[in-house]
Amino acid sequence: MLEAYALVTIVIITKIFYTFPLTTIKQTGTAAWYTTLISCVGAIVFFALLYLLLQRFPQKDLYQVFEAVLGKKVSRFIILIFSVYFLYYTGINLSEFVTILKIYSMPFTPKEVLVAGFLTVIAAMAYVGLEGIVRVAYVLFYLIITGLVLILILAIPFYDFNSLKPWLGYGLGVSASEGFLKISAYDSVIILAIIANSLQGLKYFKRIGLSCLLTAGAIFSICLACILAAFQYTAGSGYISGMYHLSRIIYYSRFFQRVEAIFLFVWVFASVIAISAVFYIALSSYCRVFSITNHRPLLWPFLFLTFAFTFLPSNIYEIISVHVRLIRGYSVFLIVPVPILVLLVSIIRGKKGGKASGT
Amino acid sequence: MSEKKPKNIIWQMLELISYKKTSRPKTFILPEMDEQQSKQRQESNKRQESEQQQIPENRQQSKGRNQADEQAKDTSQIPGGQEQKHTQAMVVERAGQRRRIPKKPLAASEVKSARVEKDQVKTDVNSNLQVLRQAFHVPENKDLIIRDIILPNKKRGFLAFLDGMVNKIIINEYILRPLLEQEATSQSGNTKGIALEDIVLTNDTQSLKNINEVISEILKGNTAVYVDGLDYILICETIGFEKRGVETPKTEIVVKGPQEAFSENLRTNITLLRRIIRNRDLVTEFFEIGEKSSTVCAIVYLQGLVNPLVVREVKRRLENIKIDFVVSAGMLEELIEDNPYSLFPTILNTERPDRTAASIMEGRVAIILDGTPIVLIVPVTLNALMHSSEDAALKWHNTTALRMVRFCAFAIAILLPGFYLALTTYHHEMIPTELLIAIAKAKENVPFPTIIEVLLMELGFELIREAGIRIPGIVGNTLGIIGALILGEAAVSANIVSPVLIIIVALTGLSNFALPNYSLAFGVRILRFCFIFAGAVLGFFGLALAAVLLTLMLVNLKSFGVPFMSIVAPRTKRGKDIVLRWPLWMQEKRPDFLNPLDSQRQPEIARQWTQQDPE
Repeated sequence: MLEAYALVTIVIITKIFYTFPLTTIKQTGTAAWYTTLISCVGAIVFFALLYLLLQRFPQKDLYQVFEAVLGKKVSRFIILIFSVYFLYYTGINLSEFVTILKIYSMPFTPKEVLVAGFLTVIAAMAYVGLEGIVRVAYVLFYLIITGLVLILILAIPFYDFNSLKPWLGYGLGVSASEGFLKISAYDSVIILAIIANSLQGLKYFKRIGLSCLLTAGAIFSICLACILAAFQYTAGSGYISGMYHLSRIIYYSRFFQRVEAIFLFVWVFASVIAISAVFYIALSSYCRVFSITNHRPLLWPFLFLTFAFTFLPSNIYEIISVHVRLIRGYSVFLIVPVPILVLLVSIIRGKKGGKASGT
Repeated sequence: MSEKKPKNIIWQMLELISYKKTSRPKTFILPEMDEQQSKQRQESNKRQESEQQQIPENRQQSKGRNQADEQAKDTSQIPGGQEQKHTQAMVVERAGQRRRIPKKPLAASEVKSARVEKDQVKTDVNSNLQVLRQAFHVPENKDLIIRDIILPNKKRGFLAFLDGMVNKIIINEYILRPLLEQEATSQSGNTKGIALEDIVLTNDTQSLKNINEVISEILKGNTAVYVDGLDYILICETIGFEKRGVETPKTEIVVKGPQEAFSENLRTNITLLRRIIRNRDLVTEFFEIGEKSSTVCAIVYLQGLVNPLVVREVKRRLENIKIDFVVSAGMLEELIEDNPYSLFPTILNTERPDRTAASIMEGRVAIILDGTPIVLIVPVTLNALMHSSEDAALKWHNTTALRMVRFCAFAIAILLPGFYLALTTYHHEMIPTELLIAIAKAKENVPFPTIIEVLLMELGFELIREAGIRIPGIVGNTLGIIGALILGEAAVSANIVSPVLIIIVALTGLSNFALPNYSLAFGVRILRFCFIFAGAVLGFFGLALAAVLLTLMLVNLKSFGVPFMSIVAPRTKRGKDIVLRWPLWMQEKRPDFLNPLDSQRQPEIARQWTQQDPE
């Protein structure tokens, strides 16, 4: 149970190391820290609906439910769209991470080399499969959380919580609408529904999902508040990676300063786990569509496609304004409504299946 | 037989140039040649059969046995254990060699019964002697001693044993003397009535009717006794070869705790264990490994405590090793481990009986190979490899602190050179200014890039270590230390490496030595170079990627079905002597990941005197 919790939490919170703080602060100003809580509440509602759907088909995972409700052809088409989306998500996330790495830490290293190194590890993780990814996630989860907490604690001398004012940011309406769109920042919780059969029943599914969303919401909110408190919304919306800057300002003496490089470990750990998990889900979704039992022969083509997606955006501006906006804003119109529609169809058509397990 | 249909010319040409597999493996002949040869063979078979009948009976029997042995070998080599169709063996004489020609398939049961019959001990001295002589290649082989005897009742007999493998006093005093002096039982003249077991005075005897088993016992150092007319051979325990005594451990030295180590003798090793665990449930099972060496291997476990699935798995692996020769625990380890490509060992090696006993008491299985002083323990986890034999002898807080030091040493030994390289090459900003200036100053006159410096020093260190092991005695260690000092000093003076690097390499080497497990330390040595490469190419990013790969490798390792990273991945119940060592009286449970049948090590209150009033 804890392993699945660690995996999904890492997949959700990894965005905090990327441009998520920048875009959120830019769009909602000083209200960013609670806008994400609005998104979190929205994500919990979405998760509740997801739970209701799985409850109707207790011994099935999300894709099996799709098939049971919508039939083979339609469900496979939807799963294929999900697979493409997850693959795109993998590529854009990787591109975002590598670009930030190049900007802050390794400006002279070619992007291709960084991507190739990263993809090598992703290939190994995906080759081993879900069990390996989940176990690595659990082992490194504590390190990631410790690193994150350390950054926040060590930067305390630079916080001025007056910078969180005005409390309403750009207005409640903006916060609410952006909050709704940012539900997509939490939509990775759907992974739990896809791997539901690997969990020990729906009771654990519910518990893990809620814990993940609440933890992620708390982490996002605290990190955004700390970034705002340290840099104000003006500078906060200018830094590409707010968390990296937060670690950069840590200064205790001439001996203990500029320690941001050490936090690279935390970022890489989190990024590798998050991206390889989504990559594996994309791969396994594709295998489901075409009833392929062994995912390993498909590793090379999928790695190649991810490599291609990584080089789709040509610069950081394009990443932020187009692709990140798509996967952390408008993807809410893809990931969220499909299960809800399936739930509605199953209710209307009165479809149910299996006996409840662990509920 | 139906007549062959006429074939068209193309078909015949194709047949002419095509090769056809014959009954002789690995040879291919043209079909026409094959037909001619088979006719010749049939003729020679008939001749051979008539000649064969004239060969004296005992000679024929021994040859037949050899043939049966050959046949047995042939069938045993069939992959998957499936028996081929057995063919009735027809003997062809060709320059003294014999070869089988398929004629008529025999049923498997018939083949088996024929083989069993041929392996039986014969009822006359000459035949049995002949078999033994042939089996041991006498007279070329001078090791087999055959002592002919004539009993007081005029019956012929013999003793057979391997020179140097037996205790001759036992043979002279407790086998030969009683045999030559026995009278009572021989008076009847009924040879079947002679109870040899009652005459010889050795502590263990066996009556064997299978000649192969007799040979196996002689090879172990036992003595075979046979008297004419008997249909069995008596095996008397006379093992008595030279062996090393119980000495102090060489690689697992402790300050507090027992000072005994295993030796090369299997029986001594098992005795050492039995002396510590005086429990009737301590079970020892024997296996023979090595088709040619027949090395004896024992597994020792505590029945009723150990997980039976682990025992079954150990037995399955040991029973299914097909190799000619095994001489060391390392070889056996390689043959039975789960992940042979892993850099980290998944089997614990120890030379200490106390550690082995403690492992058995936790629900593990010990594998002891004859001829090696190292015992293998399975299943193990990474945490078990970080334990030392002294842990149990020290106070709990000292042990816990030491274990923390070892985990730090593990991290330093893998990461430090790569970290230094990444830091000085990619992430200078992290180094405090004063230190950065000091490093830069020290490197000022060094012409090589840091990666070359690191590799040179690491390689030098490995060379010194390897040379130190090869140089005999205490000189080796001394030379190693002096060599390192002189080399380091000279390298710094010659501006080949910077002094900071000497510190880094020395720290890494020390950390490597701090690891309690020799095989683990080896794995770490190799991994270090991978991390150096990763740090040199991609800085901290590379190191982090390598760390993820290492974690992935570790979480996927298994030791006889038990995950190598148990208690963390997968998460199992925390024990009180796994990472941290709690006081002994708090260690009520055995490790959960081993799934022992009896998980309770001791009652909840081990120190029951604390519940009593002082007198």
